[in-house]
Amino acid sequence: MNQSFAYLKKQPWVWSFAAALAVWLITIAYTEGQGATAILTAALSFATFTIIVGLGQMMVITTGPGNVDLSIPATITLSGVVAMKVMDEQTAMIIPGIVAALGAATLVGIFNYGLIRLLRIPPIIATLSSSFLILSTAISYGRGIRIKPPLPLSDFATARIFGVPLSAILVLVISIGLAVVLKRTVYGRSVLAVGQNMRAAWLAGMNVDRTRFATYVLSAFFSGICGIVLSGFSGGAALNMGEEFLLASIATVVIGGTSVAGGRANVPGIWGAALFMYLLVTMLNTFGASAGVRLILTGLMIIGVIVAAGGEEQR
Amino acid sequence: MFKKTLACTIALAAMLAAGSAMADTKDKKIALSNNYAGNSWRQAMLKSWDKVTKPAVEAGIVAAADPFTTSENQVTEQAAQIQNLILQGYNAIVINAASPDALNGVVKQACDAGIVVVSFDGIVTEPCAWRIAVDFKAMGASEVEYLAKKMPEGGNLLEIRGLAGVFVDDEISKGINETVAKYPQFKIVGSVHGDWAQEVAQKAVAGILPSLPEVKAVVTQGGDGYGAAQAFAAAGRPTPLIIMGNRQDELQWWKEQKDANKYETMSVSIAPGVSTLAFWVAQMILDGKEVPKDLTVPFLRIDQDNLEASLATTEKGGVANVEYTAEDAAKVVAGK
Repeated sequence: MNQSFAYLKKQPWVWSFAAALAVWLITIAYTEGQGATAILTAALSFATFTIIVGLGQMMVITTGPGNVDLSIPATITLSGVVAMKVMDEQTAMIIPGIVAALGAATLVGIFNYGLIRLLRIPPIIATLSSSFLILSTAISYGRGIRIKPPLPLSDFATARIFGVPLSAILVLVISIGLAVVLKRTVYGRSVLAVGQNMRAAWLAGMNVDRTRFATYVLSAFFSGICGIVLSGFSGGAALNMGEEFLLASIATVVIGGTSVAGGRANVPGIWGAALFMYLLVTMLNTFGASAGVRLILTGLMIIGVIVAAGGEEQR
Repeated sequence: MFKKTLACTIALAAMLAAGSAMADTKDKKIALSNNYAGNSWRQAMLKSWDKVTKPAVEAGIVAAADPFTTSENQVTEQAAQIQNLILQGYNAIVINAASPDALNGVVKQACDAGIVVVSFDGIVTEPCAWRIAVDFKAMGASEVEYLAKKMPEGGNLLEIRGLAGVFVDDEISKGINETVAKYPQFKIVGSVHGDWAQEVAQKAVAGILPSLPEVKAVVTQGGDGYGAAQAFAAAGRPTPLIIMGNRQDELQWWKEQKDANKYETMSVSIAPGVSTLAFWVAQMILDGKEVPKDLTVPFLRIDQDNLEASLATTEKGGVANVEYTAEDAAKVVAGK
């Protein structure tokens, strides 16, 4: 018992789950138990979107200092707009729509890494500037028009099995897959090695370029999935649908215990962090806190969890 | 001499009275400085601008009417953009401003350079500029007044606010809360920020809903009604009366509910075509007409009986809109 507790305490992801649980308990204590499961279901459905882009961001950040993908919001929007426009409310066009949207997202990833590698632009600048191009493409392609998703897609995005959202199960499968990839495949080990020391990884004979390239494409691809499911979930694509995911994707990675310096990834932490962030806003909304108070408390609590989770890592 | 002056005056007066817009502005250039384009309302606003100004340029009423939009919704960027417009020699600049006071310096520069500055929607407080403002407070109040008439027995309200920290959000919310205070049968049991976006509103409402008692009506700011409806449906709660904000998806949903179960509500927002009103006002000022510095535009309200008509003219995915003609603008200026 003591041993397993000590083991748990060392896992950086425990803190984000503990924080999420604490916030949930406080909320239902305040409402006197009313809506306890409904809050959890809502948290699972909305956290799903943050988790999927958080996983992509986690992989990018793990490839080492300076690596970050700021084009996630724009890619979500582009993928949503492309998917809705190609589908045009027809069930038969769902598959072509998904293919087109994921194709567009993949192109974004290739373009991002092209800027970083060929033009030697730092990732933070490269992905920020490419996000302007991507958003402009989405605007000129969609002209701000909101097209509804075909019925089967929105049914899928909002479906639940025993109260658990189907999209959450999909993302759970992706998460487990990614955890296995990180632990057991050459690509996964390469990502960690490159993140710990790019030069050492290169000297050890790893293909650093291919690893980083695949990671940026993977992040864009995950943003693409998020864009499609989110448009299905919320009844269409909108130009500002990706906006809130920039900070959220980075915050979940950091709160979840992934090392910002790279080289260490943490898949379960992304789940805990995404649930924590959603439940935190729910709690403050339930308390009736004003927007200013809410932002201050959100900031303070995020700092608190990061300090708690990262306390032992300082060497 | 006197006779000649008189004749001239009469001729001039006749010309003004005829409202002939051709007179003095055919070689004048007007620019639109816009701070943001990332949502459907702003897209509709830019589209309306093109739709009205292009024919005006072709007809020779003005020499140019070019729209410029900054990529990041930032004051510094818009200030630099306006400085460029001054250097490029535009005669009038129509502004949708990122901030009511932070652009005052550059607006003053433009005025000093003899340029007519007309601000609308996002207005500037610099006295030398014209302001086409919306009475957002009255808009918020009108929602509660409607509810008071519709459900005299009262009940619990959920308020969906806009983007925190923005002037418009504060004004609409003030109008709502002050009017609710007048009707004690209503009580606001929850308030969330929906950022005028369906996704954000849906997420915020879904989060707070489980902790709320029965909600009779939802007061909104536009762009959030459809998201709220989806959150209520997803939670399996009865759909309350949700005030809508003129977006096509909101009107479409209202129409479906109306056909299915005689759902009743109302919808209110600002028509994005207000940019075309600003264009005509700028043109009138360049034409030497007397225009008061502060103008108010009416908001666009849709009710149960004109829902179908409004829906039919609203583009799929767009916002219910009205574009202004030179005559409409003259009426607004005259205060009618």
